[in-house]
Amino acid sequence: MIFIENVFASEAEISQEATSSAGEGILSSLGVNAPLFAFQLLNFAIVFVILWFLILKPLSKKLTERQKMIDDSIENSKKIDEILKQGEKKYQDRIDVAKAEANAILERAKIESDFIAEEAKNKTKGDMEVLVAQAKARISSEKDNMIAGLKNETAGLVVTALQQILGEKIDANKDKKIISDALSKLDYEKK
Amino acid sequence: MHIPTMAPDVLFTIGPLPITNTVINTWIAIVICLIFGIIISRKISLRPGKFQNAFEFFLETLLGFFDQVTGDRKKTMKFLPLVGSVFFFILLSNWLGLLPGTGSITYQNKMLLRPANTDLNLVFGMTLVALVTSHIWGLITVGFFTYVGKFVQIRQLFLSFRKGPLAIFTAIIELFVGLLEIISELAKVLSLSFRLFGNIFAGEILITVMSSLVAFIVPTPFMFLEILVGLIQAGVFAILTLVYLTIATTKPHAVEEH
Repeated sequence: MIFIENVFASEAEISQEATSSAGEGILSSLGVNAPLFAFQLLNFAIVFVILWFLILKPLSKKLTERQKMIDDSIENSKKIDEILKQGEKKYQDRIDVAKAEANAILERAKIESDFIAEEAKNKTKGDMEVLVAQAKARISSEKDNMIAGLKNETAGLVVTALQQILGEKIDANKDKKIISDALSKLDYEKK
Repeated sequence: MHIPTMAPDVLFTIGPLPITNTVINTWIAIVICLIFGIIISRKISLRPGKFQNAFEFFLETLLGFFDQVTGDRKKTMKFLPLVGSVFFFILLSNWLGLLPGTGSITYQNKMLLRPANTDLNLVFGMTLVALVTSHIWGLITVGFFTYVGKFVQIRQLFLSFRKGPLAIFTAIIELFVGLLEIISELAKVLSLSFRLFGNIFAGEILITVMSSLVAFIVPTPFMFLEILVGLIQAGVFAILTLVYLTIATTKPHAVEEH
């Protein structure tokens, strides 16, 4: 019995050893072995450290920094644009207010100028009327004077002419009569 | 013609550590990363030079792709350390494998240089880091019980006993779905690592065979193809890592509804 158990136990051990040696055989044919695996793992760890700490980390950090800078610049440009728009709006508002004020000033100036012009016109008209009246009065008086002078001259001429024609001296009464006749004739002719 | 084997060749050992030809390529990648890193960290400024500009272009393009997966720039930046490192390292390693000398320079009848991603140790390592990180992040973000509840839905089963047979049936199905989730998590390790390994290894063999048949001109189109494959595989690995991280840090619908 003990012998049979030993035989079975040794068979099991043999099959286990065969399986493990087959597994090891496959792995060794593929070149897989523990020390080399550990060594390559270490090599990869070194590569990882170099790539991450010397290349990827600084580069990604710079990329992030640059991206942040670009984002900040875009944000700033948006703010500046907003401020510019607000400034333009304020400028436009002030221009509108100034325009309104200017229009009001112009309106007032126009009213004032119209008023001043009307006043000046009225004053000028009054002055002109005064001047015309004065001129008319002067012309009238000059005319009267001239008529009177003309009358006298005419009378003198008439008398002189008559004296020449009649060759005689007329007395004062006769003289007056002749003069008045001549004058009345002159008035008639004038009319 | 020396067809590369699946296992990388051990060139020498430092103590217990075997130094393989893929490790040499990994070291070259580390040195290049270090040089680029020193240049960038010293010359970095808000007004980028040509060098910084080129890197920023790559990074911004990558961030754009990542944003499409995460849908949020904050999440993208949170996952960038791991996903970005994975992407750039895989890309650099893949492209380094196309440099002249890789596969052709020998040391003690062994290839001195091999593309780093033809080493399953490295690929498994990166995959495990990606997946373990996604699970840790998921646990932290969603909460322990909610996250574990995705895989082990026993609580629903207990609650279903009060609701009736239909609820019990649904809870049992959900319990099995949870178990399937665990299996899919394990499958992720294999699919993610073998996809990258297979593509790069196949590319290496393809170029080796083509170069052995005709040394000039004929391998050129295949090398251009491999440049593309290198980029695509780096992208696929990184995007899948990001997808796993995003899914792990998103609360399940049932939790969101409550």
